[in-house]
Amino acid sequence: MAATGERDDPAFPVGAACRIDSRSPWRQIAEIPVGLDPEGIAVDLERRRAFVACSRSDFVSVVDLETHEVIGEIRTGNEPIDIGLDEQTGRVFTADAHSDQVTIIDSGTLEVETALPVGGYPSGLTHVPEYRRLYVGNSLGSTMSVIDLDTLETVATVDAEPGAGAIGVDPTRRLVVCVNFVAASANFYDADSFEEVGRLELGTGTCAIGIVPERGEAFIVNSIAGTVSRVDLDKIEVKEEIRTGSAPVGLTLHPSHDRVYVTNRGAGSLSVLGVADGVEWSQIPVGGGPGGIVVDPHDGRILVANAGSQTLSIVEDLLAARPPAPVVEEQSPWIGDKLPAFSLEDYWSGEQRTNHDWAEKKYILNFFASW
Amino acid sequence: MRVREEARSGLEIVLVDIWEGTEPRPEVERFCEMWGIKGPILLDPGAELAGTLGVRGVPTNVAVDSDGTIRAFGAARLDELEQAIDELYGRA
Repeated sequence: MAATGERDDPAFPVGAACRIDSRSPWRQIAEIPVGLDPEGIAVDLERRRAFVACSRSDFVSVVDLETHEVIGEIRTGNEPIDIGLDEQTGRVFTADAHSDQVTIIDSGTLEVETALPVGGYPSGLTHVPEYRRLYVGNSLGSTMSVIDLDTLETVATVDAEPGAGAIGVDPTRRLVVCVNFVAASANFYDADSFEEVGRLELGTGTCAIGIVPERGEAFIVNSIAGTVSRVDLDKIEVKEEIRTGSAPVGLTLHPSHDRVYVTNRGAGSLSVLGVADGVEWSQIPVGGGPGGIVVDPHDGRILVANAGSQTLSIVEDLLAARPPAPVVEEQSPWIGDKLPAFSLEDYWSGEQRTNHDWAEKKYILNFFASW
Repeated sequence: MRVREEARSGLEIVLVDIWEGTEPRPEVERFCEMWGIKGPILLDPGAELAGTLGVRGVPTNVAVDSDGTIRAFGAARLDELEQAIDELYGRA
């Protein structure tokens, strides 16, 4: 866990520079149990609901954002991993990775309307209301599907690269950017012709994107490298690498575009990064193994899907601007102490292994999850 | 890196699977096939050891010295892990 440093600095009096009087630059609102391995989130502004794609449960949890209760579960295809909501039609879309399809749900009735076949292992989707388009990144197919939001017809299938997933759109430049996790790259397309107009090599494990059209910049997460790349959309080149918390995987923009929020899967936190200064302003603790993240346009609260703790966190970022003190990573209190005794099942043999099996040896315990 | 360090210094990297939310064996099997993993893997389905240690995310690496003392915690980036290993062997 990490925290922003000293907060009693007279140059940044709490209450004066924050939106509300608080001693922390964040506030925890709720942590709501949902299905297994929640990844994507979409907000229904009109009905005050969140739709959470729970990939290991093969359903979408529907959360009432006023009562913070789960009010329904909607069965989808296998492994719904990303999700979006089109306010004009009221349709919710899930990218069902293991079914190679997009499930379409009526957000009013909470019933499945239909499902559309896409490429292999769709793992990211973005809908663009002004284009009336849904873009789907197909990781195993190495393609991007383009679907008409009204007719639900696939209007194009565009070659991308291995691990195609997250997609960003710059309506000003009419540019579509497809981020490829395995290839560690991004492809840039003309939004009308789908002709590729550029390509970038990025850090390893590229997996999320946010675009700030007025600055002509994209922010792309490199999960294994532990950075966010600031990309110049006019020159199609990386301008800066911004370090985040551990194993960043999700990204969204604050509505004002003055900061981006990045979930740190390895740290159970989200980083607040300044758009103009490229500095990590703070880290906000959330649940275990966070991934998907959105900002609720109704109240500016941040919604985070925690794959590890199988919860939806709702938090508030109370910073009005960059704080004077940098983020200070807090060390684990276990450093310098003895590892507690353990007895765990060996996956290969089925036998119990204990810490005594590694007595008088140096070793690394690597905590991981398969998702 | 796991193979390289084992050959270089005898260091074992012991994987501990957590947070599957379901029966872990099929998930671990799929994971090992996908990434060609062969080394020691322990199952902590209730994340009890992880919870005791305050693990909040994955991956989290815990470097343990030969007397059982924890020397590094977190170290998810490759450079951080390499630094933790160097410190464990007094190479830093």
